[in-house]
Amino acid sequence: MRSFVPPLSRMLVRPALIIALALWLKGGGQVGGGFPAGALAGLVVLLQYVVMGREQARRYVAVRYAALLAGVGLLLLVGTSFLPVLAGYAPVSLFPRPGQPELGAGAFHLHTALIFEGGLMLIVFGLVVTVIDRFALSTSTEEESGP
Amino acid sequence: MPLLLPILLALACAPLAYVAGRWRPGASAWVGASGAVASLVALGWELTLGPARLVLPWAPTWGLSLEFTRDGLSGLYAVMALSVGALVVLYSRAYLPHHLEEKGRPARDEVRFHVLLLSFMAAMVLLVTVDDLLLLFVALDLTTIVSYLLIGYDRDDPESRAAALLSLVLTGATSVVFFAGAMTLGLQYGTFSLPLVFERAATSPASTGALVCLAVGALGKSAQVPFHFWLPRAMAAPTPVSSYLHSAAMVAAGVFLLQRLYPLFAPALAVRDGLLAIGFLSMTVGSLLALVADPFKRVLAYSTIAQYGYALVLVALGSEGAPFYVAAHAPCKAALFLTVGAVTQVTGKKKLSEVSGLRHSLPVLAGASAVAAAGLAALPLTVGFFKDEVFFHALVQRGPAFMAAGLVGAGLTLAYTLRLWWGLFGGKRQDVPAAPRLLVAPVVVLAGSVLAGGILPGLLVEPARAAASAMRGEPSTLALAYHLDARAENLLAVGAWALGALLFATRLAWTPGLARVLEVVSRFGPELGYRRLLHLLDRLSTWLHELEVRDLRDRVASVLVPTGLLGLTVLWVTPLRHRFLPGTVGWADLTLVMALVFASGAALATLRARGHMVLVLLISCVGFSLAMVYAFAAAPDVALTSVLVESVFTLLFAGLLALLPSRRLERAQQEAQKPRGRDRISAGIAGVSAFLLSWSALSHLQADRVGTQTVKLAEVAHSPNVVAAVLTDFRGLDTVGEMSVVVAALLGVTSLLRLKGKR
Repeated sequence: MRSFVPPLSRMLVRPALIIALALWLKGGGQVGGGFPAGALAGLVVLLQYVVMGREQARRYVAVRYAALLAGVGLLLLVGTSFLPVLAGYAPVSLFPRPGQPELGAGAFHLHTALIFEGGLMLIVFGLVVTVIDRFALSTSTEEESGP
Repeated sequence: MPLLLPILLALACAPLAYVAGRWRPGASAWVGASGAVASLVALGWELTLGPARLVLPWAPTWGLSLEFTRDGLSGLYAVMALSVGALVVLYSRAYLPHHLEEKGRPARDEVRFHVLLLSFMAAMVLLVTVDDLLLLFVALDLTTIVSYLLIGYDRDDPESRAAALLSLVLTGATSVVFFAGAMTLGLQYGTFSLPLVFERAATSPASTGALVCLAVGALGKSAQVPFHFWLPRAMAAPTPVSSYLHSAAMVAAGVFLLQRLYPLFAPALAVRDGLLAIGFLSMTVGSLLALVADPFKRVLAYSTIAQYGYALVLVALGSEGAPFYVAAHAPCKAALFLTVGAVTQVTGKKKLSEVSGLRHSLPVLAGASAVAAAGLAALPLTVGFFKDEVFFHALVQRGPAFMAAGLVGAGLTLAYTLRLWWGLFGGKRQDVPAAPRLLVAPVVVLAGSVLAGGILPGLLVEPARAAASAMRGEPSTLALAYHLDARAENLLAVGAWALGALLFATRLAWTPGLARVLEVVSRFGPELGYRRLLHLLDRLSTWLHELEVRDLRDRVASVLVPTGLLGLTVLWVTPLRHRFLPGTVGWADLTLVMALVFASGAALATLRARGHMVLVLLISCVGFSLAMVYAFAAAPDVALTSVLVESVFTLLFAGLLALLPSRRLERAQQEAQKPRGRDRISAGIAGVSAFLLSWSALSHLQADRVGTQTVKLAEVAHSPNVVAAVLTDFRGLDTVGEMSVVVAALLGVTSLLRLKGKR
């Protein structure tokens, strides 16, 4: 009998990722932020691992390079925090500064806090996915492949 | 920021060399050396612009900033570190392949060596350029850490590892003492910026304790008595390391610190007298040991201890020749180290008693090292002559006793230098294959510079004066020239040569006796104390370790009990009024209370849970109930995050259970059902402490003040979501720190589970 669970879990990937993106982008104005966004995206990947196994879940590029994404996230975080220092600002100065005008509509605003939150999201996602992947690798007997 | 250009170039060398090494291992040395030369050129251009300072604010509210300076002292030392560094890297290009082959390691390990050496160079350049007590300490520790990796480069060799550990422990421990001194000064003067500290020290002198702490840090680095014994042991490192760290860099750092901080030491006559005594003692001990040591590198190591003793004496006397002395010593000593490295590579021998008469097979090396040896022994026509001239000049002003001590010291220097050179190149002819050109060329370049400085001393006057005036904070009148008259300095020099020649000529008569005496004395030296201390620490750590790993419950207790006791102590000593307020509960709080009751119920249920899966689910139940509490308390952001994190956590925890052996899990279950007495006590301490701390913290919520203010500020910061504003803006630096921890945990998980997968 064909189970309806694997197709369903695959169908859930896109909506969940879109919700995660929304959580990230509107985090500055409403409920959300990079941390829950990363955790949600990680949960979707976790679902893929549980339902379809490591081999199938690793078809997604972002899953194969999750650890690298965490590194990129840390770079984004450190970059937004310390690049302003070179221009003479205090560390973790976000732009536009208080009082300056900003572009945006609704809950979405162009602000360097978005990059910061994006870094958070990538780190959390990278951590969750890498840990799952390592668990899956250690419990299965298959050989490690890819990065 | 032109001042940073040489530092940035020096910092770029190591990564560039690494990248080049990935492409082709042989290229990394050349790329690194060119980087060092580029940095040197940039530095030379900078020095023509005159002194300057650069202040980068870091944490302005605490008065902390990153300060850099460009003055004579930093220029002199940076030129020394960069030029010797470039030569040593090129030399190690020729030295390393042979060394690695001998140790049975792959040829690509060479890249690691160059990268480490260049990182050390960068740390050294940073150290001499910074102008701030805290950065000084940071740079000092950077040199310590890289030197540990360099000395322990032959990882498979236990002797090498022990030597690396010894140098790390000694120079690390003394640099912590230095840090204590720096902090004391920072608190005393309210700033860490050196010019400000000097300015304020002019009216209120620094405390003796702080100065002694600073001096201990410097003495440890410079391998002065009683910390001297790490240096000879560090000779287990590959020769380029010894040549660099122990001529122009690591040991120079200690004396450099004293010169940089000289304005603080100037009024403290008692401290300076102590330094003077240590300097003379190191001179004597180092010279005597150098006279009898058999391995070449040991001779040079003891000589380094003695020579930095000279430099220490000069600093203690406040002589303006102190920076010049170090700079003149560096090329001579580096050239000699490189010479003995080449000899070891060609002959495979490491001891003076095993080689002789190499002048026939290695004529160029013999000639170049003769110049370097002459420089070390302060013969005329070499730059070394002037280093002893400034030394004698400083002693003459202090009287005959000092002059006699200086004469004996210089005589001993000549004697052991002659012994070394003659032992290598003089005597009965031995035929060996020719040395590779790249091994000899750096020695020739260094010898050329030694000779050039001796023939044209006028070129050196300007840099030496600039360094001296930067050290002493007043214009310098240092003069370097030959005088053909019967002045005291010249008489002392001639006397020293006569004494040295006499000692060398009669060496066969006294060497065995001196060796025996020193052997007996060294058995009771400070090295014994170090070994005892290490042994005791080792036993203590083994005891603690066994206590911790014997049992999982003890391991958990060893974290929880100290934390709990710390919490209770904090509560005990902090004076707070109304420490534990019960607060009020109304009907509106009903939902909150219900959620909390649920959480408490789940927490209590864990006590009786059988099976780990149930335990995991109960714990996650606690988490979800708390998320519910946040939701009821109108904190949707926190609630959302808790729900998501709790889901991930529960699933991962369940996955983790699959990785553990089931027998272990069963045993842990049985143990958990039968708590011992001390388990109850540990749990009680941890629980009571956590409960009281939370209660006390919640009793002091300044909800109105902090909350309203935060909401207002979040609006201004373009982030109406207060949680996001706190996370990214107000507490952004904390977030960066926490996320670094997350990434570190990620790396830990990756490597741990990969290990498991391999088994």
